Amino acid sequence: MSTEIIIETANTTKIFNKEKPDEVIAVNDVSIKINRGDFVVFKGPSGSGKTTLLSMIGCMTRPTSGSIYVKGKDVSHLPERFMTMIRRNTFGFIFQQFHLIKGVSVCENVMLPLYPTDIKPSKLRKKAEEILHNLGMEGRKDFPVQRLSGGEQQRTTIARALINDPDIILADEPTAHLDTNLSEEFLSIMRGLQQEGKTILIATHDPLVYEKDYINLIIEMRDGRVKNIIGKQ
Amino acid sequence: MRRSSIFFLLTALKILIIIALFVHSRIELSNRMTLWKDLEGIVSTLKLTDMALFTDARYARHPTQADLFSAFQDYPGSIEHFPTGTIVPPPEFDSVETVIKIK
Amino acid sequence: MGIEKHRNILDYTLLSLLRRKFKNIGIILVFTFVIFIVGSILFLSYSFKREAYLILKGSPEIVVHRMMAGRHELTLLSYMKDIIEIPGVSKVEPRYWGYYYDSMTKANYTILSMGETVMKTSRLLKGRLPEINEKNSAAIGKGVARARFIDIGNVFSLQSADGSQMVFNIVGIFETDSELMTADLIVLSESDFKRLVKMPEGMATDLAIYVYNETEALTVARKIRERFPDSRPILRDEIIRTYDAVFGWRSGLVLTLFIGALAAFIILAWDKATGLSAEEKQEIGILKAIGWETSDILEMKFWEGLVISLTSFLPGIILAYLHVFFFGASLFAPALKGWSVIYPEYRLAPFINFYQVATLMAITVIPYIASTIIPSWKASITEPDIVMRG
Repeated sequence: MSTEIIIETANTTKIFNKEKPDEVIAVNDVSIKINRGDFVVFKGPSGSGKTTLLSMIGCMTRPTSGSIYVKGKDVSHLPERFMTMIRRNTFGFIFQQFHLIKGVSVCENVMLPLYPTDIKPSKLRKKAEEILHNLGMEGRKDFPVQRLSGGEQQRTTIARALINDPDIILADEPTAHLDTNLSEEFLSIMRGLQQEGKTILIATHDPLVYEKDYINLIIEMRDGRVKNIIGKQ
Repeated sequence: MRRSSIFFLLTALKILIIIALFVHSRIELSNRMTLWKDLEGIVSTLKLTDMALFTDARYARHPTQADLFSAFQDYPGSIEHFPTGTIVPPPEFDSVETVIKIK
Repeated sequence: MGIEKHRNILDYTLLSLLRRKFKNIGIILVFTFVIFIVGSILFLSYSFKREAYLILKGSPEIVVHRMMAGRHELTLLSYMKDIIEIPGVSKVEPRYWGYYYDSMTKANYTILSMGETVMKTSRLLKGRLPEINEKNSAAIGKGVARARFIDIGNVFSLQSADGSQMVFNIVGIFETDSELMTADLIVLSESDFKRLVKMPEGMATDLAIYVYNETEALTVARKIRERFPDSRPILRDEIIRTYDAVFGWRSGLVLTLFIGALAAFIILAWDKATGLSAEEKQEIGILKAIGWETSDILEMKFWEGLVISLTSFLPGIILAYLHVFFFGASLFAPALKGWSVIYPEYRLAPFINFYQVATLMAITVIPYIASTIIPSWKASITEPDIVMRG
């Protein structure tokens, strides 16, 4: 494993509805470092700030104060355009609710992140089919997503996260809607991706996830603060 | 084929049809040039001022030469209330037997 | 950035539109119908106006009526020698014309004689016109021939003002091509006309005035009005303007009949403009989260508006053209033609006013695109992390 720091947060704080009666400090003064190739779990009850932290790392929203460095570059103060570009080139997202676009086929859903780029559709389709093949989904590629089973939907979102060949994969409560078998299957796919050199960040409170021995960094959060960092190198 | 290509093709096809209609319009209009010349000749020979589009009432037949619109002006029994009078025919008055018939 | 990106976004837009097939086809149908109706009305009234302009160029430059107590009276021929003295007047001729109600067919005919003009033959006249003092001969319009079932060489009779029947030989029939102007005409000789309606000597229905220079027509008309305060001069320009107005209000009338369709379309557009469904909002969030920029989302919405409006506008215009110029505006005919016994048969001349078509495009396509983009604006500028939270 290399020891290049791929993500670093420095005193990152996120406050929603600042200076209003319903002010919420979602993430409070978090400073962590993540190395390339790590398999990281953000652990904590709901409302502990792990999802917010994940979306800040994934360039979906900016911190209220503090900085976030991705591959050594401060991304927390970039204009929207550049944030989108970093998001599109560096991150793959797997959402708790899958967030697939209904009425659209599996393959098109997978291709979707790269539509607003100059890639040829034939090339993009080939790439999507390849990824679906690796995930054992080639038989389902022309299926509309709403007719898939839960596990198939999960694999479709994984394929979509991989279409841009990202360095970092972010997953928010990925096992919340899966049974044990499917959760195990999901984790083994993630493990495989980690072994290919990708960095995996998962926010979860599912013991099935954080008790895996190949996880080398567990960041425990509560009330927006980091409570405990367990490194298992 | 890509969906965008289909869209562009269909749009191009429609634009082609519109161009064809435009050509049709030009040809048709140039064919009618002599007709209009002849019609203008008839109009000036007969000193006509109006089109024979609506022959129901005086103001409709010769809108440019008409008096103001007055009752019982034209079609017998047609009480004129412009513009309804040119759209709705007068009722059948024969049964009422108010029509004065000269033998 | 190359062109490929935009085509990709268009590809996705089309895919997305196809998902809500029925809703979108519904919008396209209503939109097409509205364009078809409005386009037909524009084509129709413009064609009539242009044709009226071209044909009525042959009308006398000024027609002078005499008024008595606000009613149209016969004009005295003695006016003529005073009018010819007015500088700029080249020619003054009496017109003899009026109406004849035919109780047999319940049709109104227009009867006229030609005054002193030397008869000309025309391609549009089968046979000839009656000579000035020729007795008992007439040339008739196609509409009259149809109503009375008569043809050239036949005879027909009209009841004269003293109650006696006058019999006429048909010496000429105006050809179908001229029906727009001649359908209900019965052209008689001057002497026959006067006998038929018992017009006193020294009188005419009105006077046709010709001027050397058309731009002086207004001045001449004013001088006639000064010389004869009981006269009513009508300029050729006014005649043509009257036709603009006639076709204007008839178009408005037709438009009123289709106000329902128009309202439906406005409601549809309003419905779109006032908000996105939760589903659409979530979709925008997903697209942003997986790497679409705000500008990509707006571009997608732009394409969506453009695809729907072009897919409606172009066929709408094509159908309007076919409807008006190939099928004689058959859908509007009842409202446009009104009711009568004699209908002229005519084919509309396919005049196209590009300014009108462009305006129609500008007031339908652009607002539609705007109403697609504007509501998605707010959804597309929010930060994409809402999908993580939701």
